[in-house]
Amino acid sequence: MILNKSFLTFYFILFFTMYSFSQGIQVDSINPVKLEQVFVTATRTNRFISTLPLPVHIISKRDIEQANSVRLNDILNEQTGLITVNDYGGGEGIQMQGLDSQYTLILVDGMPLVGRLAGTLDIKRLTTANIKKIEVVKGASSSLYGSDAMGGVINIITENPEKGFNVKLNYRLETFSTEDMSAVLNYKKAKFGWRAFLNKYSSNGFDLNPKTELKTVDPFVNYTFNLKTEYAFSKQSNFYLSLKYFNQNQDYNASAILRGESSINEWSSNLKFTREFNVKLSAYFEFYATVFKTDNYLINSENGTFFDSNYFDQQLIRPELRVQYKFNEVNELIGGIGYSHESLDRTNFSVQPEFNAPYVYLQYDSNLTNDINMIIGARFDSHNKYRSQFSPKAAVRYSLNKKWSLKGSVGYGFKAPDFRQLFFDFTNSTVGYTVLGFNVANSALAQLQSQGEIATLIISPSDLKNTLSPENSISTNIGVDYKLSPKLNFKVNFFRNNINDLIDTRVIANKTNGQNVFSYYNVNKVYTSGFEIDGKWKPLNRLKITGGYQLLFAKDKEAEAAFEKGDVYARKDPVSPAFQLKKEDYFGLFNRSRHMVNLKLYYMLPKWKAFANVRLTYRSKYGLLDSNGNNYLDVYDDFVEAYSILDFSINKTFYTNYSLNIGIDNLFNFTDPQNISNIPGRIIYAKLNINL
Amino acid sequence: MKTMKTIQFIILIALFTGFSSCSNDDDEPLVAVESQNITNLQAQQAGGQGQPISGAFAKFDFLTGQTTESDSDWDIAFRGTSIIVNGGTSLGTIDEPERTGEGAAYMASGTMASVMEVTQDLFVQDSDTGYAITTGSENGWYSYSGAPTYLITPIPGKILVFKTRDGRYAKVEILSYYENAPSEPNAFTDTSRVYTFNYVYQPNFGITTF
Repeated sequence: MILNKSFLTFYFILFFTMYSFSQGIQVDSINPVKLEQVFVTATRTNRFISTLPLPVHIISKRDIEQANSVRLNDILNEQTGLITVNDYGGGEGIQMQGLDSQYTLILVDGMPLVGRLAGTLDIKRLTTANIKKIEVVKGASSSLYGSDAMGGVINIITENPEKGFNVKLNYRLETFSTEDMSAVLNYKKAKFGWRAFLNKYSSNGFDLNPKTELKTVDPFVNYTFNLKTEYAFSKQSNFYLSLKYFNQNQDYNASAILRGESSINEWSSNLKFTREFNVKLSAYFEFYATVFKTDNYLINSENGTFFDSNYFDQQLIRPELRVQYKFNEVNELIGGIGYSHESLDRTNFSVQPEFNAPYVYLQYDSNLTNDINMIIGARFDSHNKYRSQFSPKAAVRYSLNKKWSLKGSVGYGFKAPDFRQLFFDFTNSTVGYTVLGFNVANSALAQLQSQGEIATLIISPSDLKNTLSPENSISTNIGVDYKLSPKLNFKVNFFRNNINDLIDTRVIANKTNGQNVFSYYNVNKVYTSGFEIDGKWKPLNRLKITGGYQLLFAKDKEAEAAFEKGDVYARKDPVSPAFQLKKEDYFGLFNRSRHMVNLKLYYMLPKWKAFANVRLTYRSKYGLLDSNGNNYLDVYDDFVEAYSILDFSINKTFYTNYSLNIGIDNLFNFTDPQNISNIPGRIIYAKLNINL
Repeated sequence: MKTMKTIQFIILIALFTGFSSCSNDDDEPLVAVESQNITNLQAQQAGGQGQPISGAFAKFDFLTGQTTESDSDWDIAFRGTSIIVNGGTSLGTIDEPERTGEGAAYMASGTMASVMEVTQDLFVQDSDTGYAITTGSENGWYSYSGAPTYLITPIPGKILVFKTRDGRYAKVEILSYYENAPSEPNAFTDTSRVYTFNYVYQPNFGITTF
């Protein structure tokens, strides 16, 4: 157990404070007044969640507080069918319905986050301290959101100014000297309101392999700042501005000698005008701009000479006009038109590419009868660098009776080729291979040829003349909701995503140094399918149990065919003769677990005026790489073993405005230093919250 | 598989004795086909990693089952991950030997036991645009893992079928690229460019089965 000096001091102060405020306490019930939950991400309008025909999920502020989450990955990892996986670039991205993090759109207050360094968007970047709720839509949603919304959409909705003047402070200390502190200053009266939020998160990092020279996670400190202002010109028109800044500095060490620093700077501004013309017609104008920059450098610490540096600078500007028309209580139309301008400047790019993409979308939401709700919509994205995309979607919900309802949806999703896949121009300085983006491959290849570095061309230059197609999918979801009573309900959702034109690399030429030139091309057909179950049960007023399970099959269709044809071989031992594999020996895509489970138990302790909870997550075995050389993940490969993590916490409110949270994450101290670098082991923490 | 080979061997011995006991002197007796294992064939190179590659190829002669320094009496040769045949023309890299024979090669999918017959149409010779055994990760006989292990692994199910310099046939399965064929190779500590392979040589002219 790590209890350093400051931790102890903190502990004492807390005890003292607790003691002095130990009288006249009121405790919330575990059953707060049940308000109908509003969901915006599925329709871009305020919509009651209970009648939505799509597989959606809300993570409330209460859920986040009870789990004592600090960063976004903490809370998402506890949700059914969601898991964060480590990327080789160091980011922690979300996997949804078996699709990689690059295929899930992450929004903050409805606006996309940028900064996908190698495709992955690192969600550890986001603090949970300012989150009001998180909305999750599963299944392709490009009909509203365009590119990247293939697996689904996660919309993080942050707190808005609330009435009155208030101050909130909190401080948390945990193992590895990790500290998290936030301050909120909020003011709202009549027409004008503002809210300032500041968070500092720092850690000494941790080391899963003390024998190696490098730490698993190097020390870092980051700051999140958010200022929101609201002004109501009248009852009908509103002005809103949100400014956000994120800064992180982290030690960056490549070896015992090569040391440096990496930094991230992110700005965003979101301006919104709302105008309600009448009961039926409203319009919204939004202007979003964001910049994401990283800078890394390495210095040879023995002689002080500069070794290497790289940078990444991405910008996105997006104006959008949205109009909502309510025909009546049950029929509503929403339409939008917008323009995305994106640019990237980074190391290993021979050009500074720009993406320009105007788009338009329309969605119709209607209650055909009292029991049937239907949503149909489509979006058209035009683009200057790849084929334009038309993304339709349709969804229906049918309520059989008060207890049972059925829902089904089919949608098209796509992910535009990213800047790297189009414009990368990179030669590995130690091994000597080259990777070229599709759009620069011909010119870069010609240059390599003129320098005499090309031995043979494997792909004729004319094959590189067309454009790379966006990766796309048809996603189908069919679900059943069952609500016996407020105390017991569950839902099941079956999903299938058929993905085409997945982008992969291939050899386009041999180099005279014996290495190859790689480029990107559309190749794979992949599917992910399975189902998830979510349930909630309150056997006692004081006790709530929730649980979830996901079954997943994620496979490459060509790989399946190759196994079926008997084209795949393996060795039992790396140096033993090969043997032929059978169809059932194919496991599927890398980094996908067949089974994922979560089970949470919440218990109220009236005598203690506190809540306790125990939360368990389980992930079955998965493969990270092909260990027997046949390029496929088969049952003879080395797998990462199944694991479970148990978290425990007690949250106690005292003197109304104070609360204290104490807990242990990963109680049994699970680690897998070789394969899982984002699980640091047991974490003990304490947190004090003050609302003034 | 071992029993397969043993049976194969016994049949051949039987055939051999059968033929040799035959009094007809016009028939050349058939020589037995044997499965052989070669360990630690050194195929070092200079350069690489962005620099021009040089260094002598390690030449191998199926007839003797040994490496050779001969300029003409070799069938296949190794340097780093490159494998050349004694047939066709040189790609023109530094220190690459001239081809003097009628050697050729192709890659078949299968196991040593399942690749039992030579397909003549598939044979390709080395040329000034590329080798018959194509090079590069996933493009020839091996895959390169890249970071963090940087391992060269022979792709299971790749059988290299060769026509020797004088028109006989052999099949090869490469097992390891590291010295002493460690079962858990480590690219940082094990010496690479050291081949371990199994081969079957058909010493009889005109016989296209193994």
